[in-house]
Amino acid sequence: MGGEPGVPVDAVMTELHARVRERLRAQVIASGGSPAFEDPALFADVEALLHSAASTFDSTKLILPELLGDPDTWRLNTAMRYQSHRKRGPASVLIFVKRRVLMPLLRWLYEYSRDNFERQRRTNLVLFACVQELAVETARLRRELRAVAAPSAAGAAPADSAPESREAR
Amino acid sequence: MKLAFVVQRYGAGIAGGSEGLCRELAERLSPRHDITILTSCAQDYVTWEDALPQGPSVENGVRILRFPVTRPRRIKAFADLSDEVFEGGASRERQDEWFHENGPETPGLLDHLRTHGRDFDLVLFYTFRYFPSYFGLPLVADRAVLIPTAEEDSAIDLDVLPEFFDRPAGYVFMTPEEQKLVASRALHELPPSVVTGIGLEPVPVERPSRGSLDNLGIPSRYLLYLGRVDRNKGCDALLENFQEYASTRKDVTLVLAGPAKMQLPDHPQVRALGYVSAEVRAALLAHATALVVPSWYESLSIVLLEAWNYAVPALVNGRCKVLAGQVTRANGGLYYMFPAEFDEAADYLLTRTAEREALGRQGLAYVEREYRWPIVLSRVEALLAEVSRGVRQAGPS
Repeated sequence: MGGEPGVPVDAVMTELHARVRERLRAQVIASGGSPAFEDPALFADVEALLHSAASTFDSTKLILPELLGDPDTWRLNTAMRYQSHRKRGPASVLIFVKRRVLMPLLRWLYEYSRDNFERQRRTNLVLFACVQELAVETARLRRELRAVAAPSAAGAAPADSAPESREAR
Repeated sequence: MKLAFVVQRYGAGIAGGSEGLCRELAERLSPRHDITILTSCAQDYVTWEDALPQGPSVENGVRILRFPVTRPRRIKAFADLSDEVFEGGASRERQDEWFHENGPETPGLLDHLRTHGRDFDLVLFYTFRYFPSYFGLPLVADRAVLIPTAEEDSAIDLDVLPEFFDRPAGYVFMTPEEQKLVASRALHELPPSVVTGIGLEPVPVERPSRGSLDNLGIPSRYLLYLGRVDRNKGCDALLENFQEYASTRKDVTLVLAGPAKMQLPDHPQVRALGYVSAEVRAALLAHATALVVPSWYESLSIVLLEAWNYAVPALVNGRCKVLAGQVTRANGGLYYMFPAEFDEAADYLLTRTAEREALGRQGLAYVEREYRWPIVLSRVEALLAEVSRGVRQAGPS
C-alpha cells in the first residue's frame, strides 16, 4: 500500500544499535571490564541476551516469582497498611492517629522511600528476567550437549556435568 | 442506530485523550445516528468536582445528559489505595473500591443505564478505568462496546479485569499493541473488535509562519516536547538524557510546551514555554526538527500523529510498546531505551537532513493511509454494524 519506505526504521535502528553497542563495549573495556569483551561478537551476544531480559520484566512472564511462593515472604511491599494489634477501641484510635496525624507529617518521607522501593522492585524483576534468560540458555546448551554426547554415550560423563566440561575447554 | 456514549467528562473545553476522542467521534457520527452522551458534571479530572449543570443539553448537535458526582475524589486516600491494589493480592472488594475512588462517582448515570440502557442499540464506554465504565458496562454488557484506551500501567494488572474484559460485545482499540494487551488479560477470545485510533484533518498546505517562534526566541533547530511536563510522562528521564546529550552538542535546544508539573533545570539549551496558544502550538509542531515522546504509557500518542501530519519525524521511548510500534509501522521516527540510544538517535535526526525529512514524509504518508476521518469512521461504522447484528441475533435478554 505505502510501498517500500525510503528510510526503513528497522534498518536505521539496527545501525544505531550496532553503534551504541560498540560505544558501550569501548566504555566497558576502557574502565577495566572483562577481557572477554575484547571480542565484539561475544559482547554482542551478551548484550543481546541481557537486553532481551531487561525488556521482559513483566512478572507474569517470569517463573521465579512463582517458585518463590507466597509474595508476602519475598516481595517488596510499598503500600502503607494501617494496622494495630490492640483491641478494637484503642486500635481504631491508634489507626486514626497514624492515618490523620502522623501520615500527613511524614508523607514526604513515605513517598521518597516508596519511590526508591519501586525502583528496587523493578530492578529485582529485571534480575529475575536475566536469571531466567541465562537458565534458558543453559538448558538449551545442556540439551545440545546431551544430543552430541548421545551417540558415544557408553562410558561418557553424565550429561549434567556437560557445562563444566564446556567451560574447561 | 440509537447510540449512547458513556464517558467520564464531556465538553468542548475539556482536554484529555479519551474525552477528546469521544467528542470527535460522537460529533462525526451524529448526522447518521441518534446519539446521547451520558457523562458527569465534572470538568476537572483530578477532583471530579461538579462544574457543569446536570441534566440534558445539546452541544454541536449532540444530546448530552450530565449526572452529578456524589463526592469529589479523595486524592490521598486514592493514592494510598492505588499503592495497595497495584501491589497485587488485594481483595476483589478493595479493587472495586479503587474504581469507586477513581471516580467520577455518578450513581445517577448507573440508574439511567439500568432503566434506559436497553433503549439504545449499542452503548459505547470510554476508558475502562473510571467508575462509569467499570460499573456501568456490566449493566448493558450484551450491547456494550468498550473503547478501553488501555496502557501498560499498573491498573491493567488488577485481577478483577480479566472478567470485566470478557463482558463487552465489541471493542474499539487505538493500536494493535493495545488490542494485544487487552486480549492477553481477557479470560476468553475477544468479541468483534477493530483498531482505529483517531482521525486527523489534513493541515493547511501553507505552513504556519515562524513569526510567533521568533518572538519567543526559539532557535531553528529544536527538539519539541508537547504536553504536560510531568514525571509520569517520562519528562524527568527526557531532561536527563537531553542534558547529557547537550553537553556535547551546543547547537540544539529542547523546547517544552505545556504546563510544568515538576521542577525544571535551569539549562541554556532547555526552553520551557508553559501553556502555549493554538497558533504557537501549530508553529512549534510545523517547524520542529523532531518531536520527542518520552512517555512510558500510551494507548495511542495523538501528538505523534499531529507531528506526522506536519511531516515532522519523532523520537520516542522504545520501552513503550505502543510508541515503538507506531514509529516502526509508520517508518516515521526512531526510538530509544537508554541514554546512549537517545544520543545516537537524536544525533541521527539532527544531523542527517535527507533521512530526517524522509522519515517525516513517511510519517505523513502513514497518517494519510490510516488516520484520516473517513477511514476511521468507516472502520467504526463497520464494527458497530457487526456488533449490532450480533445483539439483534441474540434477541432480548
